[in-house]
Amino acid sequence: MTKLVAHTRRAFVRNVTLGAGALAMFRGIGLLAAQASGDTKVKAIFIDFDKCSGCRTCEMACSAFNHRADVGGKMMEGLGNPELSNIRVWHYNPDVDVPVTCFLCSDAPCVETCPVEKHPSTGRKALYRDPLLHTVVCDYDRCIGCGSCAVVCASSRGGVIERNPENGKPGRICTLCGGDPSCVKYCTYGALSFREIELDEPLRNMKPGDIAGKLIEKYYEITHRVN
Amino acid sequence: MNGYYGKLLDVNLSNGKVKVIDIPESDMRNFIGGRGLGMKILTDRIKKPGLDPLSPANPLLFMPGPFCGLPIPNSSRTCVVTKSPRTNPANPLYKHSSGIGYANMGGFFGPELRFAGYDAMVVTGKARKPVYICIEDDRVEIRDASKYWGMKTDEFDRKFIEDLGDRRFESCYIGPAGENLVPMACIINTAARAAGRGGTGCVMGSKNLKAIAVRGTKSPQVANHEKFLELLELSRKTFAGLDDGVKRWRASGTTGALENSSNNGTQAVKNFREGTFEEVQKIGTLANREKIWKRDFACFTCQLACKKSGNAKGAYGTLVHDGPEYETGTMLGTNLLISDLNGLQKLIYDGDDYGLDIISAGNVIGFLMECYEKGLIDTDFLDGIDLRWGSVDATLEMLRKISYRDGIGDKASRGVKYMAALIGKGSENFAIHVKGHELAAWNVHRNPGSYGITYTMSNRGACHLSGGSKTAQDSMALRDSLGTCSFASSWFRNDLHYRHFMSAITGIEWSEKEFVMAGERIFNLEKMFNYREGFRRGDDVLPERFYTEPYTIGAAKGAVVNRDSFEGIQNKFYDERGWDRETTRPLKETIDRLGLGYFLL
Repeated sequence: MTKLVAHTRRAFVRNVTLGAGALAMFRGIGLLAAQASGDTKVKAIFIDFDKCSGCRTCEMACSAFNHRADVGGKMMEGLGNPELSNIRVWHYNPDVDVPVTCFLCSDAPCVETCPVEKHPSTGRKALYRDPLLHTVVCDYDRCIGCGSCAVVCASSRGGVIERNPENGKPGRICTLCGGDPSCVKYCTYGALSFREIELDEPLRNMKPGDIAGKLIEKYYEITHRVN
Repeated sequence: MNGYYGKLLDVNLSNGKVKVIDIPESDMRNFIGGRGLGMKILTDRIKKPGLDPLSPANPLLFMPGPFCGLPIPNSSRTCVVTKSPRTNPANPLYKHSSGIGYANMGGFFGPELRFAGYDAMVVTGKARKPVYICIEDDRVEIRDASKYWGMKTDEFDRKFIEDLGDRRFESCYIGPAGENLVPMACIINTAARAAGRGGTGCVMGSKNLKAIAVRGTKSPQVANHEKFLELLELSRKTFAGLDDGVKRWRASGTTGALENSSNNGTQAVKNFREGTFEEVQKIGTLANREKIWKRDFACFTCQLACKKSGNAKGAYGTLVHDGPEYETGTMLGTNLLISDLNGLQKLIYDGDDYGLDIISAGNVIGFLMECYEKGLIDTDFLDGIDLRWGSVDATLEMLRKISYRDGIGDKASRGVKYMAALIGKGSENFAIHVKGHELAAWNVHRNPGSYGITYTMSNRGACHLSGGSKTAQDSMALRDSLGTCSFASSWFRNDLHYRHFMSAITGIEWSEKEFVMAGERIFNLEKMFNYREGFRRGDDVLPERFYTEPYTIGAAKGAVVNRDSFEGIQNKFYDERGWDRETTRPLKETIDRLGLGYFLL
């Protein structure tokens, strides 16, 4: 029997150290190290909505990477479970498919709104920016589970943050898989790529329904309001 | 058993009871899942022949396969299994003699059912008023659907998901055709995909069941995790290579076959009179790319994205829908001599919107067009419809009338076999069905050895996906049972053969022999069910047209089926199957070899 284990940073480091993919991973991180935090241009997941076919392979790949399986004491990628995925493909009728994951918003309203005081030595709130990857990270030991981050993400951005039903703490925040995003790796349609982009370019930082509305207008030349 | 939950969700709509029943391990081993396991459960529930398919006792099964919910590329398929209201034997032994029905749909429904923790779902009984079933993992509710009754599928698809308040739900549902108990009604999902054939939507309607919604948070596990990941990586790499096959599917889906088939003389044209349509390029891939298609869309974990959506503009307005595929484009296009692309897309949209089996609908309308042209029926018979070849308007009106069983539509809704008996005057010769089920878009004249066997030996009545030989039938039965898509099967060969996945999933080493035998077992069980209902050799016959009317045009001009030679092919087939030539009854040694002795003939 296998057991699913959340893929924490600690587990990641351990796996990288032990795993065969260690070299490739570190090369990815090396590239990113040059990038200064706070830039509007960072390396992020770029979504080409024209190319997404809605197959949701990315959801399976993301959740498999970020939720490891304990196979008889050996930590391996899981099989994937869309419920645990940090990227989600939203389907609409008329047919458009909208993959949405943490946009790494340059102003990060989720971090802004986090009410936990900055840590005296690290200067970090419970929710903070990873200096290396630019991802939003939660310090679960300090997080009070208030849910402010999820609220502001849902009301003004992609609504990717979901709260753990047991303790209210945020989840589903993209980890970039430590620098080599699995979703990108397994998207054969070329809809996802990991590259340097302008964080505020069109169709980013929006709710999936609003993106869908714009895409429906673009492809089918009709106005259609969706939630 | 590893890879399965071993759980059957059982919903009885008569008394509102919901149960979760353990599935015996031997059933999973012997019948795999999907179509096969569905058939096993059906035979456990229907102990005697002659059950009225529209009675509350007829089980309606929704069957994902063991591949569903796993990340294996192209594993999205759900098989709907039930006793069909569409087929009946020439000499029925019972008032309600009918054959088995199964219909396979892509999309996301089956995987989601597995994420909710079920390998199978059965609906029995009949609700007092329209209802839908809502499944969220262990929570299963039967809810009022009165406000949705009468709603067509496109509007329903949009409204239902908004009302559910969570776009992570997957659903399937019927349209007005199913509600009105049109025998050729289908079950639709995502407003575009269908469990199209065999009248599954009619059975669903007879239960007052408008829809099923499901959302799950679990995931199936496998026995040999490491081996599974190896196979997964290899299969993903195979598709990522974007070879010509992958590119072709993405570029044109099944639509590419429209022109190829026409050029080869294998297309259904003018009620199967011809195999070639001169104007086919007007509705072919290039025309669609230029005028309609905007996006490709895929089913769960699919690497081929054969479906294309877009909008045609013209006399029938701007409407957004998936564009013509080979089946829809042929049955509502070339078979009716329709080449107006905007009109064709409107027809397909309406057919899906009503929840009709477009193959059967296009077939029966083609038959009536021929009867009308030949003067066997007149406009009075047709409620005033001028049902000429090529008329989009007349076809639209027929689709509406069939879906609401209005006048001529009520008659036509029963299919081409019924219509031929009603009209008579030799029309039986060009009533294109086997066992009462209409033929699909591939014509027979040119390839009787393959398509003749496919159609005459298919257990659900004429079906183009049943397989043209014993080997093909057994492997199709397997694919439909695994939950994988037949379009992707050519990439799952050698080291990537499905049986290797099954070995990793279940932890049981599947030998090639045992694997193939499972497909054979499934096909035979279906056959035994039909035999018990009274289907015999006289039901395995091709329509007369194929023997007597050679093509007059196209590359295969002159092609016609030779009766003696075809019957010889059939004899060989029965021998190979281990069935009696005269009666088609599976022989005792065949039944014993496959371990099907539990089913009493």
